[in-house]
Amino acid sequence: MTTTTLPTPRKRKERSQADKTGSKAFNRLAATCLTLFALIWLIPFAYAVITSVRPIEEITADPIGFSLGSWTLDAYHAAFSLNSIGWWYLNSFLISTLSVVFTVIVCSLIAFGLAHLRFRGKGALTVLILAGLMVPMEALVLPQFMEFRAFGLLGTYWALILPATASPVAVFVFRSFLKGIPDALIEAARIDGASWWRIYRQICMPLCRPAVSAVAIFTFITTWNAFLWPLLVLTQTKSQTIPVGLSGLLGATSINQAEVMASAVLGLLPLLVVFLVAQRQIVQGVASTGIK
Amino acid sequence: MRGDFTRRNFLAMGGGLSLAGLLSACGSPVVTSLTGGQPATADVIFWHLFGGGDGENMGTMVDTVQKATGHSVESTLLSWGNPYYTKLALAASSQRPPDVAISHLSRLSTLAQAGLLTPYEETGLAELGVTQDKFSAPAWQKATIDGSTYAIPLDTHPFVLYYNVDLAGKAGLLNDAGDGLTDISGEERFLEALTEMKKVTGKYGVTMANTADPSTAWRWFMTVYGGLVKDQGIVSDSGTKVTVDDEAMQETFAFLQKITVGQKLAPPNATGAVATQQFSGGEAGFLFDGVWQITVYSGVKMPDGSTLNLNMVPFPALLGDEACAYADSHSLVIPRASGRSAERAGYAAQFIQGLLGQSALWAQGGHIPAWLPTVESAAFKELSPQKNYVDAAANAVYDPDGWYTGAGSDFQNTVGAIIISALAGQMTPKSATSQMKSALKKLADTNAPVS
Amino acid sequence: MTTATTAVPTTRVPSDGRDNRAGWIFSTPFLVLYALFLIGPVLVGLVLSFFNTATVKNDLGAFVGLDNYLDILSSVDFWKSMWHSTLFTLLTVPFLVVLPLLAAVFAARITRNRWFYRVAFFAPYVVPSASVALIFSYIYSPEIGLLTKAFTSVGLPDPGFLSATKGAWFAVTLMTVWWTFGFNFVLYTAALQEIPEETYEAAAIDGASAWQQIRSITVPLLRPTIGLVLMLQVLASLKVFDQIYILLGGGPNGSTRPVIEYIYDTGFTTYRAGYAAAGTMVYFLILVLVSAVWMITSRRRDARA
Repeated sequence: MTTTTLPTPRKRKERSQADKTGSKAFNRLAATCLTLFALIWLIPFAYAVITSVRPIEEITADPIGFSLGSWTLDAYHAAFSLNSIGWWYLNSFLISTLSVVFTVIVCSLIAFGLAHLRFRGKGALTVLILAGLMVPMEALVLPQFMEFRAFGLLGTYWALILPATASPVAVFVFRSFLKGIPDALIEAARIDGASWWRIYRQICMPLCRPAVSAVAIFTFITTWNAFLWPLLVLTQTKSQTIPVGLSGLLGATSINQAEVMASAVLGLLPLLVVFLVAQRQIVQGVASTGIK
Repeated sequence: MRGDFTRRNFLAMGGGLSLAGLLSACGSPVVTSLTGGQPATADVIFWHLFGGGDGENMGTMVDTVQKATGHSVESTLLSWGNPYYTKLALAASSQRPPDVAISHLSRLSTLAQAGLLTPYEETGLAELGVTQDKFSAPAWQKATIDGSTYAIPLDTHPFVLYYNVDLAGKAGLLNDAGDGLTDISGEERFLEALTEMKKVTGKYGVTMANTADPSTAWRWFMTVYGGLVKDQGIVSDSGTKVTVDDEAMQETFAFLQKITVGQKLAPPNATGAVATQQFSGGEAGFLFDGVWQITVYSGVKMPDGSTLNLNMVPFPALLGDEACAYADSHSLVIPRASGRSAERAGYAAQFIQGLLGQSALWAQGGHIPAWLPTVESAAFKELSPQKNYVDAAANAVYDPDGWYTGAGSDFQNTVGAIIISALAGQMTPKSATSQMKSALKKLADTNAPVS
Repeated sequence: MTTATTAVPTTRVPSDGRDNRAGWIFSTPFLVLYALFLIGPVLVGLVLSFFNTATVKNDLGAFVGLDNYLDILSSVDFWKSMWHSTLFTLLTVPFLVVLPLLAAVFAARITRNRWFYRVAFFAPYVVPSASVALIFSYIYSPEIGLLTKAFTSVGLPDPGFLSATKGAWFAVTLMTVWWTFGFNFVLYTAALQEIPEETYEAAAIDGASAWQQIRSITVPLLRPTIGLVLMLQVLASLKVFDQIYILLGGGPNGSTRPVIEYIYDTGFTTYRAGYAAAGTMVYFLILVLVSAVWMITSRRRDARA
């Protein structure tokens, strides 16, 4: 995984080679196929949203009807009042936000050291963190659980935030970006008597915004959507995160479909909205942190 | 969100919102999740696993107790079986368990031996008048592990024989008084009765969920096998020794197969839903199931428009001389939590006391209350069909002791699967017995995590 | 990993010592977390695997030597779950490596409304697994589900998406492809943007058709990215848990239960932490070997290039 050069997240021309190069007919065919494919891709979303606003009697009568004769937001109301979705939102939001903040700070600090400081053991350190890329954390939940149990951190947000913070991927994203900052600039600041801390804070980090946003986005999405670890750690009903809380609705008997779909839509809404607003940055951010 | 995310924006946004969240939610799960304190979203946090009719009854009981004590209760329904017990254990390990939880008595020993439960003496329930002499003896005994009691039994719910009164009448199986069955004990007479019933329905004598429901298959198996071997369970020494009586087990399997594939008195592969349909549709006059299913059948209309007239009785002696009432119990436990204040512990005890007081309502779900003041009340003595099988609680036989046994456990799934394929005639009694033994051997040989 | 800067100015102030200190200070917060929460679990798992530890107890329990390993390696259920994770990988990887490549190559040839494809394909990736599972379990539900209806309306038998083993594998594969397709699509798209336009222009002047361009320019140039995507996908698929657990609970009858769920069941449901830790270590080793093999081969390929 080390060999991938992380594409520098700089804006690229989006104009394609198409107009000048390829045959028009082929491109038109490609466009048609792809558009159809993309439309099929949107069906589950559409289906969920439509079902969620249909009155329950109509769903019972015709479960797959796409008609929207009469619609209602009752299911959303019920989903909100029956479950603790409000709490789940808050928990997810706090956990993800704090994870982002800590990850950005902690990982950019060490990345700065690795990129611009000369210190003994740096080579070994780099290899060590590189090796961390290979550690499959999802597979290690059991020992992780036992460790956190011993620390008494289970049941707290910290049990989710702290492990998310130790992200080798984020370190390498920052490092590759920071390396792009010319040494001359840093040397100049050193001659002016600036401390390393000031160079980090006032020169490097401001220049590092694209990397910050890439890491922030990546961390936010992964912590927001994490499932297994939060399932094990946060057990109290109102302390759960969105994915874990929602998963409890599956298999629960005698809940009506409109309500289930409404909950699903409520669960996917926040990130989807953020995504729609900032899709270009998010896609670029994810591409640049491509190493999962 | 124009342009790039910036670190400062993120920090400001995150900081601002988390602060707002904290302020608006003082004493909330947010605070406890940050500081590691005990969650206090209500005076009593209660977890249970009751859906359907039981769930409704429990809801009413909780409401009543809440009003009576004035302490708020947050009651959460979780999915039945392994997911429930996994979650309970996880919560207890993380020191954030509910204040009160339901546990099957068959599942209790593992929880207690793991040190997850508060023993009775420390709960303060004795001071509230909740004492041993007021409980059904077998249940209290099952709740006692190595000399300490860890759970307050709520009920006993045996596996019983349901019958359709009208069809039984037509089959000539009702006693003279008309309030029970004629004597159908013993293998021969029992099979005769099922045959008579089959003649009346024209389809099946009896139905049960004998596919895709390992727990029900296991309960039926134990009802027969348990009657044959009496006190000797299939494993002993806390589940570390297999003590199967080969001959008795083969006889049991042979009997089970006679009813399904042999004389075709029961469908060989009915799911729970199909069994319900067949019994409420009059396609079978008997049903083997747990007492809690009563809520499913109350007010069910028969195909001819009349209301289903059913009764429930304990199983008669089948292969042996004595009847066996395979049963389990729901109980109330207080999981240990180092951070629980004495005040909250007091609320928990009062809540348990309150629920016991609502035992009469709980009995509507078919369960036999473990709380004797209710059982001995005049009202309960009149409650039909509960009064028919109330004695079953006195000689209830539970799952064998062992760290792997209990309601909805892997053990029940494993042995239930063998029983299901035997019921469907996919193996001989002999091979079913040997499969059963090797499955049990595997479990018995495993290092017990707790003991 | 060259760390030396090319031009060291003569006026460089700090001595080696000061740099050392600053370097370690900057590294410490990360290193502490890294040691505790990344290396920590590996070591804890290794230790636990030699003891009969109970998940719910504070002590380690009795030392049992290699018992847990012998048990796990001879457990039919463990190997079954290993096979399920492998099968899931075999089922999903081809779709998730090839389909997004085709889509990305096509999308790169389209000038207008690119945001639409980006949104359509990538949006599912930001949706939590539980929401995806809720939606798909409705689509798959017997009799009333959209896809079940689609099958039965053309005269096919109900595949039993949630109740039959084959149907369940189909269900979870389709759901996973829908859900994670966009991630690989984005990786390919990013790589495609790195290919200079001139390459295509030259080919077009030579009279190469669109298809020829794709075959002889795009795909060869994308080879490293395809390798990367393949590897990431294999690793991600081997670690499957969420979808199968939420949608199917590992069912029907445990016939789709992946390794992580096996570890979850033994470790958390039956409290056998020591045993589950042994399973964890075996599984961990396999995953690390897979990544190591890939790292070595790709290094070698790079070296040759």
